[in-house]
Amino acid sequence: MPGKDIKVGDTFNAVEEVDKYRTIYYAGASGDFNPIHIDPDFGEMVGLGGVILHGLCTLAFAAKTVTDWSGDPGSLKRLRCRFAMPVHLGDSITTQAKILSIEGNRAKIELSVTNQDGAEVLTMTSAEIEL
Amino acid sequence: MAVDKKFIGKKYGPLTYEVGKEKIKEYANAIKNSDPYYIDDDFAKNTKYGGVIAPPTFAVVYAGMLADPFFKDPELNLNYAMLVHGEQDFEFFDVVKPGDVITSSGKILNIEDKEKLDIVTLEGICKNQEGKDVCRATFTFVIRK
Repeated sequence: MPGKDIKVGDTFNAVEEVDKYRTIYYAGASGDFNPIHIDPDFGEMVGLGGVILHGLCTLAFAAKTVTDWSGDPGSLKRLRCRFAMPVHLGDSITTQAKILSIEGNRAKIELSVTNQDGAEVLTMTSAEIEL
Repeated sequence: MAVDKKFIGKKYGPLTYEVGKEKIKEYANAIKNSDPYYIDDDFAKNTKYGGVIAPPTFAVVYAGMLADPFFKDPELNLNYAMLVHGEQDFEFFDVVKPGDVITSSGKILNIEDKEKLDIVTLEGICKNQEGKDVCRATFTFVIRK
């Protein structure tokens, strides 16, 4: 990240809307056609209240927050999370990032990923970038 | 029924996947990411990568292929209806580009037998056609009993 002056405690964030057709696009692109993601009747039947977004799509939104900020997608070296809560169509997902530490050429970033009610949909979420 | 711990270390694959430029664009569109690094040839040819690259999480496509033989393994006999993706960990070692042929090798890293659920961790090590590691993807699945 040439020219970028970052320090511990810096924050940045981004918001992504989960539009009505997002799980259809994601299923096609990823190959994950689990009915909980594409079949509203099935989602109702198993108690999810309709279809839910692929957790890895939510994680991709969090990754985008980091790579848009870093300016180079190749700088992302690690990304991890726990899938804590279902994300539904129409939800608005906010990723808040904070630089936790800088060691050598690596920065560790703590991520908080919440829905429009402020509930954490991903927990234990973090990223590492190469500076 | 608990997943038998004797399957720790069981291997899946290797599976190969050839990365296509249009597939990268399709995936980027699906995750609502229009970063020119992924979709704009004119922009990307002037970057240090010399052309478009895949989003890091594109690993779900080539490493995620390992989930298929794992889920369908008759010996392991996972209760797919009760299975959810619990955790994910990606380590990225190098960028992936169109034309790369990625070979992914899977292994069951751990099986935990808890009171109400089993936790099974599947690791995928992914190398490109030059034998260089591009990604280590660790999928943790939770199966309610």
